[in-house]
Amino acid sequence: MAPLLMFAALFVLVFAGVPVAFSLIIIAVVFGYTVFGDLIFLQLYGPLLSTASNFVLAAIPLFIFMGAVLERSGIARRLFHALQLWLGGFPGGLSLSTIAMCAIFAAASGVVGAVEIVVGLMAIPPMMKAGYRNDLIAGTICAGGSLGTIIPPSVIVVVYASIAQLSIGQLFAASIMPGFLMVVFFVGYILIRSLRNPADAPPLPIHDRAIPLKEKMTISLTAMLPPLALIVMVLGSLLAGIASATEAAAVGAAGTLLLTLMFRELTLKLVMDSLGVTLRITAMIMLIVAGGTMFTSIFAVTGGGGLVRDAVESIGYGNFGIIAFFLTVVFFSGFVLDWVSIVLIFVPIFAPIVKSAGIDPIWFAMMVLVVIQTSYLTPPMAPSIFYLRSIAPRSMTYGQMYRGVLPFVGAQMLVLVVIVFFPATVTWLPSILVGL
Amino acid sequence: MIPFQTLCERFSKALGFLGRMAIFSLIVAMLYEVVARYAFGAPTLWAFDISYMLNGSIFLLGAAYSLQEDAHVRIDFLSQRFPLRIQQLLNGAVYLLVMAPITFAFTWVAATKALKAFSTGEVESVSPWAPLVWPFYGVIALGLIAFALQFVVEALKYLSGQKQPGTAESEITELEI
Amino acid sequence: AEVEWKMTAGVGEGSFLYQNFMERFVGNVATLTQGRVEITSFGAGVLAPAFKAYEVVQDGIVEAGHSTPSYLVNQDATNAIFASFPGGMSAEATLHWVYEGGGEEMLQTFRREEMGLHSIVVGIGTSEIMAHSNVKIETVEDLAGLKYRTSGAFAAVLQNEFGGVPTVVPGNEIYTLLQRKGVDAIEWSTPGANITEGFHEVAPYMIMPGVHQPSFLWEVFVKQETWDALPADLQTLITAAAKLTTYEGYTRFGDSDVKAMADFRNTNVELVVMARAESEKIREAGRNWAQTQAKTQSEAGSRRMQDILDSYLAYQSNWAANSGYLVRDGAE
Ligand code: NA
Ligand code: NA
Repeated sequence: MAPLLMFAALFVLVFAGVPVAFSLIIIAVVFGYTVFGDLIFLQLYGPLLSTASNFVLAAIPLFIFMGAVLERSGIARRLFHALQLWLGGFPGGLSLSTIAMCAIFAAASGVVGAVEIVVGLMAIPPMMKAGYRNDLIAGTICAGGSLGTIIPPSVIVVVYASIAQLSIGQLFAASIMPGFLMVVFFVGYILIRSLRNPADAPPLPIHDRAIPLKEKMTISLTAMLPPLALIVMVLGSLLAGIASATEAAAVGAAGTLLLTLMFRELTLKLVMDSLGVTLRITAMIMLIVAGGTMFTSIFAVTGGGGLVRDAVESIGYGNFGIIAFFLTVVFFSGFVLDWVSIVLIFVPIFAPIVKSAGIDPIWFAMMVLVVIQTSYLTPPMAPSIFYLRSIAPRSMTYGQMYRGVLPFVGAQMLVLVVIVFFPATVTWLPSILVGL
Repeated sequence: MIPFQTLCERFSKALGFLGRMAIFSLIVAMLYEVVARYAFGAPTLWAFDISYMLNGSIFLLGAAYSLQEDAHVRIDFLSQRFPLRIQQLLNGAVYLLVMAPITFAFTWVAATKALKAFSTGEVESVSPWAPLVWPFYGVIALGLIAFALQFVVEALKYLSGQKQPGTAESEITELEI
Repeated sequence: AEVEWKMTAGVGEGSFLYQNFMERFVGNVATLTQGRVEITSFGAGVLAPAFKAYEVVQDGIVEAGHSTPSYLVNQDATNAIFASFPGGMSAEATLHWVYEGGGEEMLQTFRREEMGLHSIVVGIGTSEIMAHSNVKIETVEDLAGLKYRTSGAFAAVLQNEFGGVPTVVPGNEIYTLLQRKGVDAIEWSTPGANITEGFHEVAPYMIMPGVHQPSFLWEVFVKQETWDALPADLQTLITAAAKLTTYEGYTRFGDSDVKAMADFRNTNVELVVMARAESEKIREAGRNWAQTQAKTQSEAGSRRMQDILDSYLAYQSNWAANSGYLVRDGAE
């Protein structure tokens, strides 16, 4: 019973507004005390130390630093401008530019929310001016922002790999196709809707995009090359296997600084601000990782492992039942928890069962990651919508936002269906890129 | 109380500065390793240990600083509907009566481990480099004590009504992962 | 149950070692004591990080731990003798030394006096694969400048005697870095364990024999006072369960190794057996390393390592000189 009580108590604290990391630690200490008595702090110092000593997690500050510098430099602004020049004339063209922008940035950095805010600030005014429907604007920006978790590199994959003991390189390779599919489905939805209801997404006025081709090419090249160079540097060195994820992230971080320097946008303030953001977010994530490890450790000691195994056995339907059960848990957790907490709380419980059931751990990881991505968009705890709220004009209502993201959640679910029925979508690339 | 508060805040900020330098050092160390391995054909003995120790240091040196900035994710769509005073009292109480003691207890353990590692000359278990571990353990203890003190400071801010949970201005809302 | 212990492991749940040593020991204890002793085992990382099993038992956080002396070599080189080192005995001879030549008793005294722990051997393993390599290693000269993923005594010998470059690679990155030549060679485990890792698919050569790690040893330990508080009959039964586990685990390892070797022959990997004269150079260097460590400790005032090493090497010499009567099923 104690393991279930742990979850109940955790939710009480979390919903009372106590930060997730602190809630995890408090519950671990309280329930751990019943087993370990006064030695509980000595015991829980173990997870704290092993989190602090985890080599794999060292990629996290590096990926975050990359994102922070990208956000502050002019690289994003120039890229969006260039995309708009090319795609603005299509039906739903501004939505398409937004998705393309998010996809490129997602592939260049491991941090996502930054993209949503940056892109949102740039894309909302022209979209509103062009007469786009509010729900389409909201859906596009929120869904685009969430792409960063599925398109490699991504911090969530780093954390997942470290917990499930999987190769980061293989997981990254596995997530390329689902990321690509998701972009395709997003684009497909935008195109179909814009073609059927042109009034929902009118094309950009011609004078906003009519500039000489030569100038257009120059603008595009200077705008596209930096992010492409970063993608090649990070993903290239990683998939080519010449660097571990941590090293590739360092190469990317240094590369971002170099590009910013080349565009004469590098200032001490920019570097110090970016380091500050990196420090805060790294400490925040690492503390949730530490808290989550403490929580699952006590969960296991109080008999949680057996409880989950019994639950899985009582469901039946073999591996299909196991997968369906786990994904359902993740999906509903996504309504109320953020991704770090979901990964930290559930993956240590799932991973051994998945392994002993003989389910391909990479395939399973990708399904979990796609489902976790919906958590950005599903209310009430929908980070994507919160970011949007913080920048959107008052005329855009919560109702429009929730309606707007729904089709995109559908598109994500479609990707899940593809992965479930065609495991090759996630197993093929790792096999040719990383060998096997 | 003001001098205590100022002192703690300065301590946290100073560690925050060291944490920033640690991030920078991590980039440099990892780049050096890649270059050493491929350009000079000679991987370093220390890159592995240095990188996890730096990352752990970033984590703990930044802990107090992140608390200062209220950077820890909270799920507050429900709690935001509580009266403001209740939110402040709740957070103040949890910080002062629960988190501060817990963190002080962890500090105690961490300091004990660091001292023991220092006096026995404990080295890293499996690394061929076999560095002494007490400096790293010491940084952990240092970060934890700042974290614990910052909990007290933040609690006082909430209880005295100076600060409101979940509203601190920071780029955390702009730069989520 | 009369006695209930939580036990933390030095390896992850679901791994071959965990099943072969940890779960087997837990099951044997339950059977032999007829349920009077109940041990609940947890994989590395659940209760304590892999390398901290000794520490958490000493701290009293859990009653029992399961680990290998390998993890303590950096703290005290005496552990290398028990853990096996380059130049050490074959698995077969080790088994005899541990149970008949006083090895386990020396380990128990060492653990009791230095760490306050009661130790019981629960596993002795077979020889490891010396390397999965991108470079053909036939002589010790081939080791010079080699980026080699290894640790412990072999890392020291490799670096100091043969000019190799030992390097650390996290477990889940080994495969990729080996494939892309980020490292030239890696050592991991026994044939039976390595084959599931697939290193032979990415590196063309497999180097043998595993003189760098001819055998390995795992132990279960509890605080001395925990042990002393047990009724004598339970002490006897638990000790018997541990010995049974060692023997069962040993043949399980050997069985899966030869099957794996047969499978390796059906792949494209080239099996390279170093000439005996060359691999003996590594063994000699390994024994010199151990002698140097023992000497350093003697000069610092402790004769223990030297005494244990003397016992070990004497057993090895005797085994080498007098085991010629044994029938060998070798190919050549
Ligand atoms: Na990404
Ligand atoms: Na959600």
